Amino acid sequence: MESKLMHVFPEKCTACRNCEQACAFAHLHEGRPTRARIRADADPQQREGKNVLVVCYQCDAAACVAACPANALWRDMKTGAVYHVESRCIRCSSCVAACPFGNMRWEPLRQWPSKCDLCGGDPVCTRFCPTGAIQYK
Amino acid sequence: MRCVRPRCRSVEESEMIRLTIDGKRVEARNGEFLLALARREGIEIPTLCHHEAVEPAGACRLCMVEVTKAQWNGFSKLVTACLYPAEEGLVVRTDTERVMKTRREVLELLLARSPRAEAVRRLARQHGITVPKYNVDEEGDNCILCDICTRVCSTLVTGAIARVNRGVAKKVATPFDEASDVCVGCLSCARSCPTEAIAFLDDGLKRTIWGKTFDVVACSVCGAPTVTKEQALWMAQRKGVVEEDFHVCDACKVGKTGQACRKVMW
Repeated sequence: MESKLMHVFPEKCTACRNCEQACAFAHLHEGRPTRARIRADADPQQREGKNVLVVCYQCDAAACVAACPANALWRDMKTGAVYHVESRCIRCSSCVAACPFGNMRWEPLRQWPSKCDLCGGDPVCTRFCPTGAIQYK
Repeated sequence: MRCVRPRCRSVEESEMIRLTIDGKRVEARNGEFLLALARREGIEIPTLCHHEAVEPAGACRLCMVEVTKAQWNGFSKLVTACLYPAEEGLVVRTDTERVMKTRREVLELLLARSPRAEAVRRLARQHGITVPKYNVDEEGDNCILCDICTRVCSTLVTGAIARVNRGVAKKVATPFDEASDVCVGCLSCARSCPTEAIAFLDDGLKRTIWGKTFDVVACSVCGAPTVTKEQALWMAQRKGVVEEDFHVCDACKVGKTGQACRKVMW
């Protein structure tokens, strides 16, 4: 397994939402950032440097994997990411209800769950972050 | 990936065999089904009843292929690719005239049964069929009895639906067509149906499927619809957690994660 990890530096995040746009274009092929698999959670009190990037933690004991009745969530042994196998999914939305962090999203238009799969080892969001708040190294 | 069928489990994983598929020499695990093998090799075989989450059933008969062996002296037979295990020295053809004739015939029957099913119509169009030669059942519903919904429900969820009756009266239903007491309203059956034959209503507050109406739990933070009460209970019992774990929508959970991070960091 590669030793690369997704590093998030909340103090650098300006909540510009470039990562959300990049994710939406990479996975949905359209600029629909509300359905991106990464979320820049802006500070409600608008304090600078207090924005949090919420992206899948690829948990070891993942709740989404435990909740899936169809065994549709597999771990990519190269990147360590849990990825969603669409052909095995029965779309019961158990994984979306189970993730305690909200990183398993439901796409209402397609009626599919979606999650961060680290783009197979080259996360697109990291390339578009202007401040380096999200890095893959 | 390992096959789920018991007869394949006994096969040693390292036991590799060689066979020919559409003139291409390929390696396969002994007992691996031909459909999985063909798809891995990029050979397209149309299917309607195949779903990777459940065991193959051979219900739609669309994946017919012709198999033969050198020692069969020219004899060949038609088999369903989704249920036929790979064997040493097998010669598989997926595009012979016999295969295409059978496939077209199956599509004519399916189209006559379910003339409005979009997946059937699309496949029929691809095979040059617009009007079937059989009497079209104008009142025919979209269900082609592919069995995906019943297999999904009985093996992966709670087993609320099954095929009932025999012959022309065969259909998918809950016991005695009554509201099922085990159905959790997860919509897996309707969403995995290839022909969108299972009707349901979901307005974000109530969900109705198989004659049973469910309350959709409103997110405890913002009020957006999440899962049904019954599904939350089923998931909680299955995993030994509390039901309330599933009562927050994905967007609010992101907010909660952000809040928790802010509390810890600053």
